[in-house]
Amino acid sequence: MYLPSAVTKQPEIQAAIDAVETNLAPEVVRIRYEIGEDWSGQWAIFFRVVLTDEAAKRRLRDVASKVIWGLARQLDFPALGVFPYHNFRSVSEQEALQEPAWA
Amino acid sequence: MGLADDLLEDARHLAAKGDAENRDSCRRRAISSAYYSVFHLLVEDFVANWPFAGQRARLARMFNHQRMRDASFAPEDKRSPTPVETQVMDVITAFGQLQGDRHRADYDTGWKLVGTDVANAISLAETTFSKWRAVRGEKLARDHLLSMFGAKR
Repeated sequence: MYLPSAVTKQPEIQAAIDAVETNLAPEVVRIRYEIGEDWSGQWAIFFRVVLTDEAAKRRLRDVASKVIWGLARQLDFPALGVFPYHNFRSVSEQEALQEPAWA
Repeated sequence: MGLADDLLEDARHLAAKGDAENRDSCRRRAISSAYYSVFHLLVEDFVANWPFAGQRARLARMFNHQRMRDASFAPEDKRSPTPVETQVMDVITAFGQLQGDRHRADYDTGWKLVGTDVANAISLAETTFSKWRAVRGEKLARDHLLSMFGAKR
């Protein structure tokens, strides 16, 4: 079974996430991720990004763009064999939903 | 205004209605419309250059969503992409993201989508319109659009 190289490079992925979290704090509260297949069966990395309520409501475009570029600058997704997906939610939205994957 | 612009406007209306009425179906349609606005932005641009006006609709129907998403692109220098390459890469990433979100919005009833998902889809579509329109005349962008249509490199 084919597995993308991202599976074996999770320390590098986590390091990139840590750096983006640090650089974009406090607006970026935390970033979680998961490697899996997307709707088409293509390997993908799904980033789940929790933002402060203020950032999600007033500065989403700017902060989201910085997260996407911050991760792309450090991670060569084609070389990792995955397509990146980034989803965002606010602290309040996560508190209401209490989804473990975002905690 | 073309279909692409109309769909983007529809996405905004649906998002507002979804918020006002706390209606999940409107939020899902807003995300779907945001994706289709970008899809038609690219398709309209491609077929507009086909000289036979009567054939443009048929040509447009040859576009395949997955093939568009999977069209390969790499900057000459990965470490230092040019401004045009950067814009094209942003369009590619946004297109894939919107396509994935559209699929979830239309089929994944287990997706607990939130207001930020909708706002991000519309924001991504708006940004993609601006970025594509800024580079659409560049050879590199035209080449990528041809790849999205299905032409081999």
